[in-house]
Amino acid sequence: MESNAGTTETRSNVTVPDGGEVAAFESLQFTDEIHRLISAPATDNASSFTALLELPATQVVELLHSPESVKLIVASAPNVEDFKGSFHFPSNTGLIQKDARFSVFSGEGNNKNEKSNSPEMTSKNSSANLEKAVKSEPAETASSLPLVSDPTVENRNIKRKDREKKVKGSTKKSKTATNERLEDAEKLPYVHVRARRGQATDSHSLAERARREKINARMKLLQELVPGCNKISGTALVLDEIINHVQSLQRQVEFLSMRLATVNPRIDFNLDSLFTPESGSTMDGGNFPSLVTPLMWPDVQVNGYRQQFQHQWHFDTLKQPIWGREEVCNNYVTLENSLLSYDSSANSAATLHANQLKMEL
Amino acid sequence: MHLPHSTLKQEFVKKWIMGLQRCKFSNKKMSIFERKKAIKLSADTAMASARKGLTCWSRALISNPDRPVPTTTRRASSACKKIVKRSRRIRRTAKCGAARKGQITRSIAQCLVRKRTQILKSLIPGGEFMNEVCLIEETLDYITSLRVQVDVMRSLASASARASEPHN
Repeated sequence: MESNAGTTETRSNVTVPDGGEVAAFESLQFTDEIHRLISAPATDNASSFTALLELPATQVVELLHSPESVKLIVASAPNVEDFKGSFHFPSNTGLIQKDARFSVFSGEGNNKNEKSNSPEMTSKNSSANLEKAVKSEPAETASSLPLVSDPTVENRNIKRKDREKKVKGSTKKSKTATNERLEDAEKLPYVHVRARRGQATDSHSLAERARREKINARMKLLQELVPGCNKISGTALVLDEIINHVQSLQRQVEFLSMRLATVNPRIDFNLDSLFTPESGSTMDGGNFPSLVTPLMWPDVQVNGYRQQFQHQWHFDTLKQPIWGREEVCNNYVTLENSLLSYDSSANSAATLHANQLKMEL
Repeated sequence: MHLPHSTLKQEFVKKWIMGLQRCKFSNKKMSIFERKKAIKLSADTAMASARKGLTCWSRALISNPDRPVPTTTRRASSACKKIVKRSRRIRRTAKCGAARKGQITRSIAQCLVRKRTQILKSLIPGGEFMNEVCLIEETLDYITSLRVQVDVMRSLASASARASEPHN
């Protein structure tokens, strides 16, 4: 089944810590059995509880021999109801109590192919959700299907705090939302989303929701990247900040290129003269000479880009809209002067522009 | 981040210097604005090619290096006023139930977001052709590349300024 393939995938990706390796492996077995349970009721629509119990009954005996799972199962009463509730409940909390690292397994074993950011947090959330799920489950006269599918859903949809109800009808469309991370290049062919209660279950809205969540995940990454965006809530304001940031960066590039053009009479900056005085003085501008010295001598491998640059330069010399550029650049000259004036390092260039500054102001 | 900062910086510097040296041979005397244009062009192209064609914006930038200068006016405030006026008109004409108000605020929010994505698309090179998901990814990449570019140019500027000090 798909879910089994997913768990085996994650198992191969997960690195087992050295201490308690055996217990970790058994915990993985445990999660694998959970998935087998999930897939089993999917095939038969009867979904009776006795059918559910048949499988774990045989495996519980095996697991009872291992010391790790003894405290998992012993904690539960041999009653059917309690077993129903605690079968899934201790599976995660026992792992959590054991070690924080094992909680990664419980989180990852149920997540398809995701690496969660903070394993403890996600596992605690999942356990909290599980507690909610488990405590309310016995109150409901529900079939075993939602019970079995809920823990995995809770583990998968860690970001949602609201309760997920089962899909209307026995449509085991079981799609769960994936925790997206941009750096994860691997993608399942199917995106799994679970429909919430009262929402349409047709494929269009589900796909729309999956897309929406992808976008939200990437927006979160953007929020982390742009400074000052963390406190802002609301897409429009965050987009405002991002737009401002991009514009300011682009303007900085313009100013800096203007500044470089003014400081250096020649276009290739006479780099040799840069390094001899630099060796004595402290560099607060950063590591530019350290960047450049290994690269001064042309490499052979960059010949591929030479064609590109040649093309660019020919193109540039052909059209020289100097008049257009001058109009636009007047603003930059004034702003560039102000930039130079409070930059204490550019004293020599500032003397040249000080007159211009007095004229402008 | 797809690429750590240091390697990106080195790539950028290498290509930028190459481009500038290439330019030296073509034209001996240039005015200040030409120089500035050449510097910026070589920097942008070097930045874009340092990404090695992985991203959409880099390809768009290489194919069309002369972009209009970003204007400082922001039209979002006027757009906000228009949206508020429109929403008031809708509210007056429609019979407001609780559901309607939710709808109206949602549509207002959608309008705002749409305006901003339009602006963002105009900022990112080649952004008009991307869908939303792609746009956000490209923005991430573009921001990191711009930061690297600004860092390198700033350090070069300060280094050359300090170098020219003892001469005077």
